[in-house]
Amino acid sequence: MTRQKRSHHKLKRAVAPYLYLSPSLLIIGLLMLLPMVTVIGYSFQNSAVLRRDPSFAGLKHYQAIFDDPVFWASLWHTLYFTCMSVIFHMTIGMAFALMLNSDRINPTLRNILRVLYILPWLFTAVIIAVIWRLLLEPNGVVNSILMQIGIIGSKVEWFSSPETALHAVTFANIWAGYPLFMVSLLAGLQGIPKDFYEAADIDGAKAYQKLIFITIPQLMPIIISISLLDFIWTMQVFPLIWITTGGGPIYSTEVLSTYTYKLAFSSYNLSQASASAVVILLISLGLTLFYIRYQKAR
Amino acid sequence: MAEVVLENICKTYGNNFHAIDQLNLSVKDGEFLILVGPSGCGKSTALRMIAGLEDVTSGSLRIGGIDVVDMPPKDRDIAMVFQSYALYPHMTVFENIGFSMRLAGKPKAERKKRVDEIAKTLQLTSLLDSKPANLSGGQRQRVAMGRAMVREPAAFLMDEPLSNLDAKLRVQMRAEITSLQKQLGVTTIYVTHDQTEAMTMGDRVAVLKGGVLQQVDTPKRLYESPVNAFVAGFIGSPSMNLFEATLTGDELMSGALAIRLQDAAFVRRPGLSSYAGRKVVFGIRPEDLYDSSLESGRKYQTIPAKVTSIEELGSEQIVHLDIDAVRVDSGDPDAVQDFGLASNAVAKFEPTSTVRSGSEISLALDDTKLHFFDPETHLAI
Repeated sequence: MTRQKRSHHKLKRAVAPYLYLSPSLLIIGLLMLLPMVTVIGYSFQNSAVLRRDPSFAGLKHYQAIFDDPVFWASLWHTLYFTCMSVIFHMTIGMAFALMLNSDRINPTLRNILRVLYILPWLFTAVIIAVIWRLLLEPNGVVNSILMQIGIIGSKVEWFSSPETALHAVTFANIWAGYPLFMVSLLAGLQGIPKDFYEAADIDGAKAYQKLIFITIPQLMPIIISISLLDFIWTMQVFPLIWITTGGGPIYSTEVLSTYTYKLAFSSYNLSQASASAVVILLISLGLTLFYIRYQKAR
Repeated sequence: MAEVVLENICKTYGNNFHAIDQLNLSVKDGEFLILVGPSGCGKSTALRMIAGLEDVTSGSLRIGGIDVVDMPPKDRDIAMVFQSYALYPHMTVFENIGFSMRLAGKPKAERKKRVDEIAKTLQLTSLLDSKPANLSGGQRQRVAMGRAMVREPAAFLMDEPLSNLDAKLRVQMRAEITSLQKQLGVTTIYVTHDQTEAMTMGDRVAVLKGGVLQQVDTPKRLYESPVNAFVAGFIGSPSMNLFEATLTGDELMSGALAIRLQDAAFVRRPGLSSYAGRKVVFGIRPEDLYDSSLESGRKYQTIPAKVTSIEELGSEQIVHLDIDAVRVDSGDPDAVQDFGLASNAVAKFEPTSTVRSGSEISLALDDTKLHFFDPETHLAI
């Protein structure tokens, strides 16, 4: 091979990977980076989108949302909604996964339970919202059952009372989201060698010791990565809350996504909405970086 | 330390499959017993029943005089080494070895003292802080041994502990385990499918086939006087050659083949003369067949054979032969591998032999080393 040919070959090898990546890079650039940059731009403009020649606003819109008590309430609701969802998704998913993985349950029953437990996953957010609105109606099934067994004395307006609304939407979201944990943890459980448990049996481990010393450490990588992903996703939940409560009553279920939506499409304050969106983006970005760092560390 | 006694142990699975049938076995205090047999013979099931990881369908099982059939594994005072080692990947070597003590709630100082002691015996001291993933195969094997030793059990149960190691390391670990067992004097039951391990490690060897115990004896006696054709074929590598022939007077006849038997053969086996005029199975080990053109083969009678292929091993040659006799299957599924398509006999020749593949040779055989079996029952005569 001549020197020229060799350097040509080298160049081809160096360029080839980027050529393969280019279609996906192009799509990501157009569909994700471009809107992101645009929104960031809007957040620094006065009357963004609405006026042809918007003026530069500096940090005015950020100042405005940080001064807005509703924003802080939304942030707090988002955190509550997200943390509770992730914690319960994890514990319920883990409990069901352990149950489905147990060989003490009859295999036929296990298969039936597996289908039942995964059902919430089959519904879209809209259907889940409608189901729970119907179930939690003042004259709905939940109230009538709870009254019959004497847990509540009078009808509770789950979604319409400021005291219960946030708990109710969180509950609906927990119900909708645990199957992801269940399925992932079940797959993880099935990958733990049986020998580990047999060796522990011989060493005299009790059931809870096996859970603490073997099962949970073995599942830790799954628990951490799915929890982080769930955290990122749940922070951005919109349709479930929008359809059940619309952020109300009196902002009691207002989360960052509904807050931003209302700013944009009810108040048409697209600049402030953009600023709020950028705040969500920054929080998500922080969590994502954390996730990526964790993945790399493994 | 304790005696392990199995009486009429049976294991039947739901689909009526008898994994173990009427197993009687008594392992003396401090003895090293090997359970050996082809895959699926029930040896691991038997070991797992002793450990308590598998239910006993019927029969009695005593460890140190106590009936343990209904006891959970932890109360049986046994320790087990798994084929996969079952080391916990998220724990260090120290934590792995000390795990049973931690479960038992022993204070850290006591744990450390005991684990350090064991690590010293097993030369693991410098590795106590490592995770299993950073250890070599042999080191992991030693950690698994350490985890078993830490509890000072009445008996060690080992389920093919060397099968994940490469050949060289296996030889080394074979010697290490044997000397460790002698040093500790703990009753040990060791499952393997490798008959080299069986022959070299155990005080006694129990051969299983299809869930039925065939023979329990010292390695030497298993090799010299197998009770049936299966044991004869299973013990020894390559397997014993087994053929069918008709006993006519004092000669074994098969096709063009005739082997004259000496009077001593009949004296040693009084039952043999009753097979006169009938079919009988005779066996000869590859190491008792010689190249007649060499010094060592001179004094023996010879039979014609055709060389089909040769495996040169340096220290010896494995010669595949075709002789004019009907080969008998010993029932060992692994033995089939020893025979090619065109050959029905195997011989071990000295490296100085100059036989060539495809040549007709005269094969010398040591007729005092012949084994005889009933053609129907395959029992030794």
